[in-house]
Amino acid sequence: MRKTCEAAVRELGGTAVIELTGEVDGGAAGVLNAAYEEAVTQGEPRTVVLDFAHVGYINSTGIALIVSVLARARAERRKVVASGLSEHYREIFDITRLSDFIEVFGDLDAAVSQLAGPAT
Amino acid sequence: MTSVARPAGPRRLAAFAVPSEPGNERLALAQVAEAVAASGLPPARMERLKTAVAEATMNAIEHGNQGRPDIPVDVEVVQDGDDIIVAITDLGGEHEPGGSVEEPDLLLKLEGEQRARGWGLFLIRNMVDAMHVRTDGPRHTIQLIMRAGAAAAVPHTGGSEGGGDEEDL
Repeated sequence: MRKTCEAAVRELGGTAVIELTGEVDGGAAGVLNAAYEEAVTQGEPRTVVLDFAHVGYINSTGIALIVSVLARARAERRKVVASGLSEHYREIFDITRLSDFIEVFGDLDAAVSQLAGPAT
Repeated sequence: MTSVARPAGPRRLAAFAVPSEPGNERLALAQVAEAVAASGLPPARMERLKTAVAEATMNAIEHGNQGRPDIPVDVEVVQDGDDIIVAITDLGGEHEPGGSVEEPDLLLKLEGEQRARGWGLFLIRNMVDAMHVRTDGPRHTIQLIMRAGAAAAVPHTGGSEGGGDEEDL
């Protein structure tokens, strides 16, 4: 059964986090774009984390949506990182070269702690 | 000493059709996965095959059958020795299987010099061991080949094999 994409936006230590759930396909365009808009208007974050831990399916149209988000973030001089990708979608990020532009972390905790830097 | 012998000739594992409606590529990938579950395909290669099937079915729905639900996309799954062969057929006649022959270049896309879409055929070619395309009148078929068993241990380098009937991409 098709699982509509949903997004929850929150701020963690100065980083905007977009937690995606469901399927990232053509139907996710509105949700992803709205979530990015909300994320960057909340506090002008330098980094946006896309968390895919609860995403079970990404197709080529979903890849295009991620490319569009990345293009916008680059134009705004923001960094995009990803977390929670399955091994398969990590491979797809490598094949498409998205991982050249989006640092990939194993999970959201790893991404946020790395972005926060070492504790002082 | 015992050995597991595979059938000498091709064996059909499944044949079904899905209506040309957005999202039905998920039905196709689920049924193909079920059909090849006992084939010995390692999990990572199963995921690759599922992605290729989904993309090829999506192309058949959108570019082949123009999203007309009354026109089905036919899917056939055959095992021939170590080869799992999935044939996906639409009735769109000659058309580009991914709607575009442009090789995706991420940097160009990020700079707005190439559209963000256009990853479908690229993904298919990189997910399977070989891909062939043939057109017979209105019937346009993309054939995906994935090696199971011992042959699957051969390192995959991506892309499609050279083949006489492979469409010039």
